Amino acid sequence: MKNFLLLLKQNPRAILGLSILLLWILLALLGPSLLPYSFSQMDMDNQISRPGLNGHLLGTDALGRDILTRIVYGSRSILTIALMTSLFSSLAGILIGFTAGYFGGFWDTLFLRIMDIVMAIPPLVLSMVVLGILGDSTIASLTIIVSIAYTPATARVARGALLSCKGSEYVDAARIRGESDFYIMFVEILPNTLGPIIVEITARFAYSIMMIASLGFLGVGLQPPTPDWGMMVIENKSIIREAPWAVLYPSLAIASLVIAISLFSDFISKVMIHEK
Amino acid sequence: MKNNTLLEINNLTVTYKTLTDSVVALRDLSISLQTQEALGIIGESGCGKSTLSYAIMGYLSSNGRCDGEILFEGENLLTKNQKQLMEYRGNRIAMVYQNPYSSLNPSLTIGQQLDEVTIFHRKLSRKQAREKTLEALTDLYLGDAEGLVKRYPHQISGGMQQRVCIAMALLCRPNLMILDEPTTALDVTTEAVILDIIGELKRKYSMSLIYISHDLGIVNKISDRIAVMYRGEVVEMGFKRALFSRPSHPYTRALINCIPRAGVVKEEVRLNTIPGYVKRRGLQETGCPFVDRCEKRVPGCTDKYGMMERDSNHYSACDRAYATDVPDKEIKALKISKEIPQPEERILDIKELYKHYRQGGTKIRALDGVTVSLETNQVLGIVGESGCGKSTLGHTVSGLLTPTRGHIIYKDKEISVSWRKRSPEILREIQLIFQNPGRSLNPSFTLETLLGRPMKKLLGISSKKERIKLSRQILAKVDLSEEYLNRKTTQLSGGEMQRAAIARAFSIAPNLIVCDEPTSALDVSVQASVLNLLSELQQTSGASYIFISHDLYVINYISDYIMVMYLGRICEYGKKSEVVGPPYHPYTEALLSAVPDVDPSLDKNTIRLEGSPPNPTQRIKGCPFAGRCHKKIGKICDTTPPPRIEFSESHFVYCHLKPEDLGAV
Repeated sequence: MKNFLLLLKQNPRAILGLSILLLWILLALLGPSLLPYSFSQMDMDNQISRPGLNGHLLGTDALGRDILTRIVYGSRSILTIALMTSLFSSLAGILIGFTAGYFGGFWDTLFLRIMDIVMAIPPLVLSMVVLGILGDSTIASLTIIVSIAYTPATARVARGALLSCKGSEYVDAARIRGESDFYIMFVEILPNTLGPIIVEITARFAYSIMMIASLGFLGVGLQPPTPDWGMMVIENKSIIREAPWAVLYPSLAIASLVIAISLFSDFISKVMIHEK
Repeated sequence: MKNNTLLEINNLTVTYKTLTDSVVALRDLSISLQTQEALGIIGESGCGKSTLSYAIMGYLSSNGRCDGEILFEGENLLTKNQKQLMEYRGNRIAMVYQNPYSSLNPSLTIGQQLDEVTIFHRKLSRKQAREKTLEALTDLYLGDAEGLVKRYPHQISGGMQQRVCIAMALLCRPNLMILDEPTTALDVTTEAVILDIIGELKRKYSMSLIYISHDLGIVNKISDRIAVMYRGEVVEMGFKRALFSRPSHPYTRALINCIPRAGVVKEEVRLNTIPGYVKRRGLQETGCPFVDRCEKRVPGCTDKYGMMERDSNHYSACDRAYATDVPDKEIKALKISKEIPQPEERILDIKELYKHYRQGGTKIRALDGVTVSLETNQVLGIVGESGCGKSTLGHTVSGLLTPTRGHIIYKDKEISVSWRKRSPEILREIQLIFQNPGRSLNPSFTLETLLGRPMKKLLGISSKKERIKLSRQILAKVDLSEEYLNRKTTQLSGGEMQRAAIARAFSIAPNLIVCDEPTSALDVSVQASVLNLLSELQQTSGASYIFISHDLYVINYISDYIMVMYLGRICEYGKKSEVVGPPYHPYTEALLSAVPDVDPSLDKNTIRLEGSPPNPTQRIKGCPFAGRCHKKIGKICDTTPPPRIEFSESHFVYCHLKPEDLGAV
């Protein structure tokens, strides 16, 4: 932990990434109680108001809704879904990837083929089709679908990490001690593979944000009037000439969050893998 | 005299900056090397031997800093830029590394890689370069050079790879060749051949050599002068005869005494050890670097310090190796606790054991009919080159591998099954100690968990308090203090890790322990203490060992019986005194002859085995060793299985020669 802070100090980009991420988390937690508007409240006198005018810091959209408020509310859902997605897909990935890699042979081949099939469909297309069929998306359905779409990738990472440890002599030592396969996989091997897995979780976090924003943009994200960053971009596209801010600010929000997480994830991978 | 100096290093200090502090890797180091001289550099790992070679080559990593001067033919290499250094590197100073596999490019043929050197440095045409390449390969006695240049590194054996690396270093006819542990990863037989070739090439091309090794025997064989390094300083330097016969520095003396050599056996002496381990050196420390581990220290050792000429051309920082004011540490013979005459009953019976496995479509015969037995409280040493099946035998006994055919009978119970089918009782009684403790102890756990888990699992001790209490007792037995319970293996030195691994094996009172090369990853000083510990524990606990090693002297030290294996078959078996002396199997004789000795006055007769054991894919009709045997009679060796010749009740060899021909050459 001491080394972690020391390394962080030497790495200004990681500090930048971490601060932006923390700022978004703070906004998501405290923002709504500080803002005077609700996300669906329409200011009928100030439709398409410029940023900074009439008490709207980032302006309003065609319906007179406050952009800042909608972005802050939108950060709540997107952060929640992305965090859950990265955790769930990693958990499922570890379970599947470890089982396949550990037992090898037939199960491994079967796993690899199934994963190849799922991976052949772009995750975005897969999620879009499934969500389109299911109808109105909720936080739960979005989380589940995106997690499933990302599981093959995380499972491959977990399988690779397991394979690099599986040949270790401590695994042999555990075997001739009569340990169960479950114990060997999750007690002996798992702690030694945490490096690449944590890196995968942070990277997956950034991917999830992009995916959810994209799904919102394509209209299969959270349904109105719930604010959603991707949806905000598409619904304000028609007024982009009159009110560019209504598209610009949600886009910036997505970009800043993804970049922040990526910078931080680069740092994590440096600490967890390369410095060892 | 001055004109003959090829390399002169004056007051070289190398510091590495790390995240938290600075570490001194080399400190105020001065050595010189004459033309056509071979300088051997010895010391434990972490003493800065490799850093020295990297500093000379200008290959230090970016956080390293060099002060002082490195004069090569009068030119200071440290003031040269990268481009100027190119004139020297690979061209006039060449280097050979420890691991040949990682120094050769796996995606280029050997010919391409070697040609490149002269095309780059000498601006030769492709055709001329190829001629040079073939010439260099022939110099290394690599038969069929024409065929070899078309092959890829992975298609040849490790010994051949290292010879290719040396050929590569030789291409530009360097004035200085630096060899950094070039034979450490190889078998003794291959090592002996390579050392011979290096010595010959040095004479042929009038090269100077710097030979870095932790093995005193090798350095003794190849060098004229020897420098002993400790914690980044040269503590003693002189001609090998003077240095080995009467070392001046206590460290040199201690190192020499650590090595198990011919005739040193556990019944007579414990091996000398150097307590403690090589610590990193801070910037501010003064005084003798060895003071904390030195048995001859006096209060003044912590401040005054400096190299002095003790004898003609024999320099040393200290002359207290034989000081009489502090008595020599008494090296006691091991007390053999045989007051109660133990009934020697058979604990293990291996009958006609075969292990065949498939590797990429070909069948490998790792074990080809091995029959051997072991009694309680005995140590069976198994020796042979890599690929002879010794580890396979150990792993089948411990249950990691299942034999293809044959029986392993442990105390009247058939156990030729894998670990999955063994009862907890058997799993507890047969333990395995691995070669590399860093890989066999899970780096994520503390010693408390590492020692406690087998107790919980195999002894059924559910109380954590009880387990900790037992762990403390067992740690005390392996000379580790209680505080180690909370440490992870990454915080331990190599020797401490192996002690922890031994503690784990002994924590559940086993009866049979398979030791698979437990000391080959360790420094000689640590090896000595681990061997002492193992033989002590064996004699006090009454357990039996199967001790696997490629080092005949280590085997000779610790075993009661020795089995020499080749290609999955037994060549010779007997009590250790019977095996290491004549009459012996030609293979045993070759192995014995290959081990380099530390005593400069000994001149061993030399039997050189060419090549390495073939891959055991074919069914061998005759004697497995026939292809490389120096005493091969003729066709009969290839076609008929050798008969068993019994010299005594316990001693037998498999050979076609007449018993009277099995003496020394």
